[in-house]
Amino acid sequence: MMQQLDLIAGFLRDIFAPLRDFILASNFPKEWIMSLPALTLILFAILTLVVGFKYNPLGLSFLGLILAVVEMVIFNPLDPVITAIPEIGAGGSSFGGLFVRDPLADFFIYIILIVGFLVLMSSTLYGGDKGPYNFMLLVSFAGAIWVVMATDFVGLFLAWELMSTPTYILVALGPMRESIDGATKYFIMGLLATMLMLFGIAIVYGVTGSTSLAIVATYVAPTPNAAYTLMLAVVLFIASFGFKVGVFPGWQWVPDAYASADGSITAYLAGGSKKTGVGALMRILIVGFVLYQAQWTLLIVGVSILTMIIGNVLALAQKDIMRMLAYSSIAMMGYLFIGIAAANDLGVGAALFHAFTHALMKTAAFILIWALSLKLAKRITYDDLKGLSKRAPVATGMFAILMLSLAGMPLTVGFWSKLLLFMSAVTAGMWWLALIGLLNSVFSLGYYLRVLRYTYMMDPADDSRVELPAIPLAAVVICAAAVILLFIFPSIILDYAYAAVP
Amino acid sequence: MQVGFAVNILNMLPFGPLAFMLLLPLVGALVAYFAGKEGRVIALFVTFLELALSLLLVLAVNTGPILEPGALNAGMNFINVFVIGSIDIGVVTTFQFILGVDGLSAIMVLLSNLVVFIAAISSNHIHKSEGLYYSLFLLLQTGLMGVFMSMDLIGFFIFWELVLIPMFFIIGRWGEEGCEHAAVKFFIYTHLGSAVMLVAFFMMYLVAGDATGTYTFALIQIDSMGPEGLRTLIPNLAPMVQIGFALAIFMGAGVKLPVWPLHNWLPWAHVKAPTPGSVILAGILLKMGGYTFIRLGLWLIPSAFARLSIPFAVLAIFTCIYAAFTAMAQTDLKSLVAYTSINHMSWVLLGVAVAAFGIGLDPGISANLRFINAANLALQGSIFMMFSHGTIISVMFIMAGQLKYSAGTREIPDIKGLMNRAPKMSAVLILASFAAFGLPGFSGFIAEALVIFGSVVIYLWAGIITFGIFVTVGYILWMLNRIVFSDPDPEKEVSEAPWSDLIAPILMMIPVILLGIWPDLVLDFTQAVVTFIIGGIVP
Repeated sequence: MMQQLDLIAGFLRDIFAPLRDFILASNFPKEWIMSLPALTLILFAILTLVVGFKYNPLGLSFLGLILAVVEMVIFNPLDPVITAIPEIGAGGSSFGGLFVRDPLADFFIYIILIVGFLVLMSSTLYGGDKGPYNFMLLVSFAGAIWVVMATDFVGLFLAWELMSTPTYILVALGPMRESIDGATKYFIMGLLATMLMLFGIAIVYGVTGSTSLAIVATYVAPTPNAAYTLMLAVVLFIASFGFKVGVFPGWQWVPDAYASADGSITAYLAGGSKKTGVGALMRILIVGFVLYQAQWTLLIVGVSILTMIIGNVLALAQKDIMRMLAYSSIAMMGYLFIGIAAANDLGVGAALFHAFTHALMKTAAFILIWALSLKLAKRITYDDLKGLSKRAPVATGMFAILMLSLAGMPLTVGFWSKLLLFMSAVTAGMWWLALIGLLNSVFSLGYYLRVLRYTYMMDPADDSRVELPAIPLAAVVICAAAVILLFIFPSIILDYAYAAVP
Repeated sequence: MQVGFAVNILNMLPFGPLAFMLLLPLVGALVAYFAGKEGRVIALFVTFLELALSLLLVLAVNTGPILEPGALNAGMNFINVFVIGSIDIGVVTTFQFILGVDGLSAIMVLLSNLVVFIAAISSNHIHKSEGLYYSLFLLLQTGLMGVFMSMDLIGFFIFWELVLIPMFFIIGRWGEEGCEHAAVKFFIYTHLGSAVMLVAFFMMYLVAGDATGTYTFALIQIDSMGPEGLRTLIPNLAPMVQIGFALAIFMGAGVKLPVWPLHNWLPWAHVKAPTPGSVILAGILLKMGGYTFIRLGLWLIPSAFARLSIPFAVLAIFTCIYAAFTAMAQTDLKSLVAYTSINHMSWVLLGVAVAAFGIGLDPGISANLRFINAANLALQGSIFMMFSHGTIISVMFIMAGQLKYSAGTREIPDIKGLMNRAPKMSAVLILASFAAFGLPGFSGFIAEALVIFGSVVIYLWAGIITFGIFVTVGYILWMLNRIVFSDPDPEKEVSEAPWSDLIAPILMMIPVILLGIWPDLVLDFTQAVVTFIIGGIVP
């Protein structure tokens, strides 16, 4: 199928064809080629650490990220030259099949790379020690890439820790005193989630004798007890990955960590690392435990409903914008889980599409509020937004677009992602779930509209102009433009999302 | 009726006439935003052009073929399809805009452009961030026209929701004290109705698809080779399913219309909105509800509406009388006019409910003929009521808004002796009030007469709604008595409105009087559609 961005990809492939041929012809281990983007990020992470002793290594981070994107494009796992290599094969495998680059992985990797790029743009505001900051950020990106590529529980666990560990420290690096509290909460709950995950992996290994998802997928439980034990593992996986995603029951760290961390890190947590949890969970449930679909569907429905309600109710009660956005992220993940609960092709594709659009919207919203917060040198509450449209018209316009998109109104891509999610629930025979989701969506207007009310309908306390720093604002403008463009041409991303459905 | 030169002009437009009409205000909105203070000129120009185009559109629509047996596309003209995206997962789901107009849609498009043009003229008191205001104003126009042109559920829903965004900002930013709250209330109420309606849209897609094998959101068949539209698919479904759809549509359209338990947003939004905002709210947004009752109700799921005929009629009569009494208790003139809207829009629902009774009756049996004709009359009355109410209420709201500038207040007890102090304003207000309670000679009379003559034939008890008219006449005359014909109070300053403020209401009185003496101007266009919906023969 011809996809929308094939022209650009083809152009890049033609330009970088010599590089590709050089790497393929060299002695570079063929096993590593599909993991090359992640390996590049690791390499650049070490470089930034060294360079960071004396200079600002942000440029180097950008370079590493762009190189990773180029490697993603030029080593196309569907390219016959690549599939002919025995170590890689048709599945785009690397490290002996521990990690693969299938369309699902690719979709999430591009999300991570786009979010990473936006986060780096926002990181120009970072005032602390830049070397370790860039190092940990890039290592976490690399870990995130491996998480969504993992097809084996052991590989998944390693990648998961590689991604998570730097984020604990990054959250703690925030400029305010509370960030230590937030990071502690995040760290402790993260450890708990890791333990649960390890327990789940142990159970799966104990029952099936393997940690490979492909083997688990075809394993037919010989006794009811074995099946129940595997179900326990599924519950543990939903809880542990759901922790990262910020859904019921592991959502409690989200507002504290998001609101207290440096805003760029929050943007990464909300846009990037959260999506890896979605990707990993999707792969485990839809590829690994497809035989238990009838059982986990109910579980996911429950998780989805509770998450939506908790997120929306608590978001309405917030005064701090960062916390409101954090709770709104929780609610958005509840909507996303509707698509997984529907468990049909429409729903999974809708969930993927929503993962992409949510990454755009939330990353931009956090970057914007963080830039504003640094500019005004205080935490942003609703009162600070009063009459902002007169003080910073462009930034407020962007924020309004993002809020309308989160609310799912037309002219923004949020409309399509919500439409598809609710439609998938209806086609799966759960019209009541769609109705609950829609009612939640109506409820969420309570806080999205409050933002518009304060920014556009009230008079500012002081009339001075607020000039936001240019580079983070540019990141926000890119996202807002994409949000509108993708409403008019949703196919650009929809085609990829539906091609990635496993 | 089809006028050759109008067709030729419309066919010359790029992207097809309907898409051009939708895109023009969008482009205008962008230009107006950057034009700042000059935005008013652009808005006036664009809305005037749109009004001219919609007049041409009404003349160019061929209303005849809809009644020919086996009419393709359900008699839609100027069909234009734009695919936004499609998903191929075994079943191909296409999201698309299908634009098309029949007599009903064309009349509604004309009404919306007329009201928007008048609202643009009466925006002369807006002096705060004009660029943004006119840009939102033109965006609103696109949304309004899109609702009336869409022949696809998803496209319909996009425009339906699109209307909320600019209206929310217009009420909240340029309104009066307390408008923020009114704006939020308006948004959430209508969004709630739409949410329920959206689930019904998905269910239509799914259930009709499962039953017939054609999964589509399109209402009509686009070409003779293409898949059937929902209009021909839905009658195959079980009656209970269709009633479910009808109730969901009722939720969506009933909030907009509004009907009694769902009306609570309306007085708030209308009173707090700036004058042009109130004009558009009452003039067109309410008609979106009425139009939806006809298009997605009678036209799409007739048999379910036929079963719900009596409850809807009862609800309509109750709403009418309830709103009339509530209006009587208001002291704010704008609030009174807002309740008048609820009062009058319930006539539309009554007409729809009564018309639903006539659907499905066999015209071959002579005993049925009088019911079919009565249903036909009532539905024509409904459509006429939407048009006439849209014009009359615009004048009423402009005059109510004008009082704020002339007398400094809109509180009815505080304004005295308007006739002595401001004769020109009084004249317009009196004429509009007479039209509002349906004095013969004005369009309101024709509408009420058509609905009531149709209704009593089918449900004799529907005559109770005349009690609503009785109360309406009472409170409007009482209002005039207190404001206009009272003795002037020397302590209260009342000044005459300048001509610049009177242009808009006087212009709008032209169609009110014209339609009062020549109702066929509208009825000729809608006659064929109504007969098509009722399924009888031309009376």
